[in-house]
Amino acid sequence: MIDVSDETSSVGRVLGTADATPLQFWTAVTPGSYLQLDDVVVTRRDLPDREPVTIAGVVTQVRARHEGAQFDSDVFAIADGTLPAMVQEAAEITTTRVDPELYVPPAPGAVVHRASGDARDAALHFDRMERRVPMGTGRDGVPVFLNADFLDGTRGAHVSISGISGVATKTSFATFLLYSVFRSGQLGADGTNARALIFNVKGEDLLFLDHPNTKLDDATRSAYALLGLPAAPFPDVRVYAPPRAGDSSGAPDVASRLTGVDAFYWTLAEFCEKKLLPYVFADADDERQQYTMVVHSVTAHLARYAVPAEGGISIDGQRISSYQDLVDHVVEQLTDDETRSTWAGSAVNMGTVNAFARRLIGSKRDLSRLIRGDLAQRRPHQIKTADSAQVTVVDLHNLPDRAQRFVVGVTLKTEFEEKEKAGTGRPLLFVVLDELNKYAPREGSSPIKEVLLDIAERGRSLGVILIGAQQTASEVERRIVTNSAIRVVGRLDPAEASRPEYGFLPPAMRQRALLARPGTMFVNQPDIPVPLCVEFPFPAWATRKSESGPPPAETLRSIVQGADPFAVIGGRPGADDDIPF
Amino acid sequence: MTRVFVDAWDPSYGASFEGGEGGDGPGSSSSAQVDVEVEVPAAEWAPIDVSAGARVPDVVFLVDGVRRNDAQVWTAEDDGTSYAGLAASFAAGVVRCDLARGAAELAVARVSRGLFTASPSLGDVRAGTVRYEVHRVSGPGEASKLPAAVQGPLTALEIEISSAARDSGSDGTDLLIVDGPLRNRRQLPRTIGYVKTQQKHYLPAAQEAIVPRLRPGQRTPVFQIGTVWGGWSWYLRLPGSSGAPWSGIVRVECSPELSPEQAIELAEVSLATLPRFASSAYKDPRAPQNLVPIAGLERRLRGMLGDARVLHRALARDSARAF
Repeated sequence: MIDVSDETSSVGRVLGTADATPLQFWTAVTPGSYLQLDDVVVTRRDLPDREPVTIAGVVTQVRARHEGAQFDSDVFAIADGTLPAMVQEAAEITTTRVDPELYVPPAPGAVVHRASGDARDAALHFDRMERRVPMGTGRDGVPVFLNADFLDGTRGAHVSISGISGVATKTSFATFLLYSVFRSGQLGADGTNARALIFNVKGEDLLFLDHPNTKLDDATRSAYALLGLPAAPFPDVRVYAPPRAGDSSGAPDVASRLTGVDAFYWTLAEFCEKKLLPYVFADADDERQQYTMVVHSVTAHLARYAVPAEGGISIDGQRISSYQDLVDHVVEQLTDDETRSTWAGSAVNMGTVNAFARRLIGSKRDLSRLIRGDLAQRRPHQIKTADSAQVTVVDLHNLPDRAQRFVVGVTLKTEFEEKEKAGTGRPLLFVVLDELNKYAPREGSSPIKEVLLDIAERGRSLGVILIGAQQTASEVERRIVTNSAIRVVGRLDPAEASRPEYGFLPPAMRQRALLARPGTMFVNQPDIPVPLCVEFPFPAWATRKSESGPPPAETLRSIVQGADPFAVIGGRPGADDDIPF
Repeated sequence: MTRVFVDAWDPSYGASFEGGEGGDGPGSSSSAQVDVEVEVPAAEWAPIDVSAGARVPDVVFLVDGVRRNDAQVWTAEDDGTSYAGLAASFAAGVVRCDLARGAAELAVARVSRGLFTASPSLGDVRAGTVRYEVHRVSGPGEASKLPAAVQGPLTALEIEISSAARDSGSDGTDLLIVDGPLRNRRQLPRTIGYVKTQQKHYLPAAQEAIVPRLRPGQRTPVFQIGTVWGGWSWYLRLPGSSGAPWSGIVRVECSPELSPEQAIELAEVSLATLPRFASSAYKDPRAPQNLVPIAGLERRLRGMLGDARVLHRALARDSARAF
């Protein structure tokens, strides 16, 4: 039962000149008071034979007009002081909660109160959330929460974030949400044990998650305090970057972050054994393509006959130590009439083989730095969240498109298979992936899209939570968007905002999304029938080199570790027993 | 050649002057004694412009009332006779125009309802949530005479709220404009009556010839009308008139108890004040004479009278239920 006895907070009365319905009604605002968008209000309807019904809602539109004016030009007479008129404000309320659930309209003339404290929590269903993750403050400056049940897979999972790049702050919101999950303590042990895998696709702004932000001011600190969060960087972060192109030592390719970065790559042996070849092709699962059968038979052949040899592999008695060599060998074997049938089967014509060869040769330049035969096999080089830190950042921003796709596809597949093997939904793994429209486009099919679909559809039970971001949700595979329990929208492109994917936004909010400021998001969760406008605080961690404070002590240690011959394979940096002497 | 002008007023309101033939001014002549030599000698009558030093009050009050006939009723008396009755709603309000601050607001408004009848036995009538108070009319009370009986209570209401409005927000220099002749409202201080429709000739022919020659924002000299309801009076022309000789002409009057100097000062004040309130033809069917604040006030008051159909239905239902 929502308490509405607080007489001092009255802001208006339900209008009688417009239809009042149980789900939406208009309120005339008392002169001298005001209501703004997103304000939470509550009113009461007395019933003859039972307890009164409390109707709570959120302001979704406000308007002011001159009453008594007939013509547009009357405004001058009114401002001149010759025509008597009254300014009357009215607010449209969209109902969020009816308690008890008896859908009767509020009576015109009923007093409407501004809801605060418990009444506000009840109106926004926060009181029913057992575990609530703070995700920022509302327009009224009071915290708003996300129901953890819809985040960790209990009742739903996955987050879809849309908005135009630059001003929508999609990745900032995703990282803030992660921070809140890890540090709010609302998920209990799950939150502490949870892992996050973040793909950094643009710039180096996610590489400093563990560095304090030097531009953090008191206002931001108090904003964090209000949400019950410490204003600190992520405590446990491991950053992976691809090896520098053309560098035989395999040093990570980063420009601004110099400490605590590890290189990731795959050895040729892993490439063959784990059947990674299909991930080289963007459309390897597309049934309209003839050459895909060649892809799969070559993959199978490599898996069966390639033998690991000193980092590289040996196949058909030939030693191969780089991706270029592998490609050249495969193409040579396929064009040779004698060996073609053993590699690709007998029913394949030359045109199909050429289509495959052309694509494979095209991948040489992009993938040769990631698939190596010249580096020590026992050196840790794999991205594996279970052995990594709490937050694993994979830097992709230097990689060309095809290589990005390969890394994302293979990493996600590996992680997902690990989870499938473990067969338990814990610990949770949050995957943050920007530009989802590139990896899981609405049209076509690819191995990486299959992995993402698998995560979207089965990840909930396996504890893999996808936090996907994209400029346009309309271009992302529909099954991924519909499987997301939580939908977030930042500033939208006007043409995009009118698409049905954003049907959860009421018309007024759709308009507001066109001018949302950075740091303002509209969050829709299954619990609450109206999306909430959320302002989340400025990151407490650095987002670029210029605002980064001193790096944490653990990362300094891994400068040594990068060239440490005694490194423990799979050892976690940051743990105190890390150094073996 | 004779020129033709279209009167700005909507034909359903009649004309701004109840003219004789050819639009040459008010129809009937008044029998009243008129003294035209109050301000200037009769021979020197000429249009007067607003003087440079004229005081414009910061606050202007405008009073008006509206009325509406809600239902015609008939009584069935015990002795078998029947009387006509009129259920009417009427409201009066005051607009306080604060010209310095640029704000016009409804200072006071009051709604009243009455049942006007000659029936000796009829009591108050209730219709839904409102009550019609009985006003007993003397005489036989024919149905056609009843509407005129509403005017008395309405004027009383206007006087009541005029003083009430000034009680709360008067700075001692304000001006009160009453819609229509002053009649028994003359005791109100700093008050002018504002007559939109010219029905009578007051001036001798020589002086009356001055009236059509007035340009917008000019007035005639003050003259005195020597009747019971008379007083000091003058004509002025409002801007926005169609150009017809008597269009946009209003007659303004003030209490005869004032001295001639006070009357002339009020005439100056009215000439400086009234033109800015003039309405424009496309917005008001009685432009320019129907002043903007008055038009706004009437709209608000009519809104306050309530919906006529609801009241009519409530009256019909409640009276049917009573028997």
